[in-house]
Amino acid sequence: MIIALLALFAEILPIVFYLVFLKRNRGEGLWVIFLYCVISILTEVINELLNGIISGPAIFASFNIVQFTLFSLFYYLSVKNKKLKIITVIGAVIFYIAAISNFTSTKLDFFSVSLASVLAIPYCILLLYEEIKDPNTMFVYNNKKFWVIIAFLLYFAATLFIDVYYSTLSPEQRSNYWAINNFFEILKNILFCIAFIMKKNAQRSYLTDNLDPDI
Amino acid sequence: MIILEVTNPASSVSLVLFFGTIGMLALTIGLIVFIIFHQRKVIRYQLKLQRLEQDQQKLLLNASIRLQEEERQRIAADLHDDAGPLLATARLYLNENLVNLDKSTQLQSIYNAKQIIDDTIQLIRNISHSLMPPTLKNFGLESAVNDLFQKISGSGSMNASSRFHDYKERLQSENELIIFRVIQELVNNILKHSNASFIHLTQNTSGNKFFIRLHHDGRGITQNDFNKLNKSTVGLGLKNIQSRLKVLHGKIFFEKDMSQTYYKVTIELVKEEDNKLVEQD
Repeated sequence: MIIALLALFAEILPIVFYLVFLKRNRGEGLWVIFLYCVISILTEVINELLNGIISGPAIFASFNIVQFTLFSLFYYLSVKNKKLKIITVIGAVIFYIAAISNFTSTKLDFFSVSLASVLAIPYCILLLYEEIKDPNTMFVYNNKKFWVIIAFLLYFAATLFIDVYYSTLSPEQRSNYWAINNFFEILKNILFCIAFIMKKNAQRSYLTDNLDPDI
Repeated sequence: MIILEVTNPASSVSLVLFFGTIGMLALTIGLIVFIIFHQRKVIRYQLKLQRLEQDQQKLLLNASIRLQEEERQRIAADLHDDAGPLLATARLYLNENLVNLDKSTQLQSIYNAKQIIDDTIQLIRNISHSLMPPTLKNFGLESAVNDLFQKISGSGSMNASSRFHDYKERLQSENELIIFRVIQELVNNILKHSNASFIHLTQNTSGNKFFIRLHHDGRGITQNDFNKLNKSTVGLGLKNIQSRLKVLHGKIFFEKDMSQTYYKVTIELVKEEDNKLVEQD
């Protein structure tokens, strides 16, 4: 219960920090993450308000689709390689096919959640690879995008196995699932906060830097 | 809670889940740590390389400044030690007392002064030619090199020859001067240190590259020696060659011929239009 409350509180924090440091967060596609946080908290509210009117699995599936769409959009905006952009679109199409075909299911659709994790983990690794390859990046962790990607990577990596095995778990184990999920939600939101709070990175190339002004 | 479930032997799914999740997390954290440390290492390496390059540039810059100063000192010495006394002597011949002397002495003095002024003109011409060879300015690199090599051959101490295979269009005059200075420096080194009996220079082009090759049969240096000398404080002439070629984005290679009989120096340059592109880049 406490962890669920903390998770809810943690979801508000990135929204607050984004708005407080709005100037720092212009560009770099961070508005997508802000939107992601807003939708995430709205889903919680809608779930509470419409409990019984709309089925839980439908809300869960909708949020899952929106979550992956926003993640893909952020990825699409962040990645520079054209091939990776195309791969993102293809991945999104595959995900939509799976998510829509399971949309009417009466159970929580963990297949498309697992699929989202399976797609998102290599995306994150490829984006990190692209970032460290970029000669304009002095230190990768000075980049706001890095913290967002790390947040997603940790969240998806931590929940991948639980998502895959969710249907085989007992009700007691399922309640544990939500605790783990909430814990990594908190971690993800803290990392989003770091991304929103940190100063805009003045990109500096170490290759073109002149260390000695006398020369 | 999870650990409790893991201890239950019936719960194989929980075991997979537990170790799967821990494994994924460990991999992810490991990956992040690796990325951060690897990047730091790469940056440190790049900075080290950059520092080395800057040190090298400093050495080249110092070498070219020293060379420039030496050249100025030489010109100053030529003017002060040769032209100055000559003009002072001419002035002595043409002093105010000249009008009081008899006609024949006057004529003799004027003749002597004229001789001295002619010598001074010749001296100044020589200084000027050493700064910018007139053959190079008027007829181009090929003629200037041929002229230089004819003078060396004419001295009788060494057989020097040159052959330009593909030099129909002249390079820009300032580039020709740089190449000529490099050739001059290399030939001077060969004359001073190699004890060679012949020097042969060839020029040709291949694609967008312009090559000049110098062969000699004396004691030479290899690329390793050149690199070592370039990094040390000695070898001023070689550093000067390097800094001149840097202006043209050129390269120089020192090697021993396959037959182990000759030493070969190859100057590789990018043709001018391509050179402009390199500069723009």
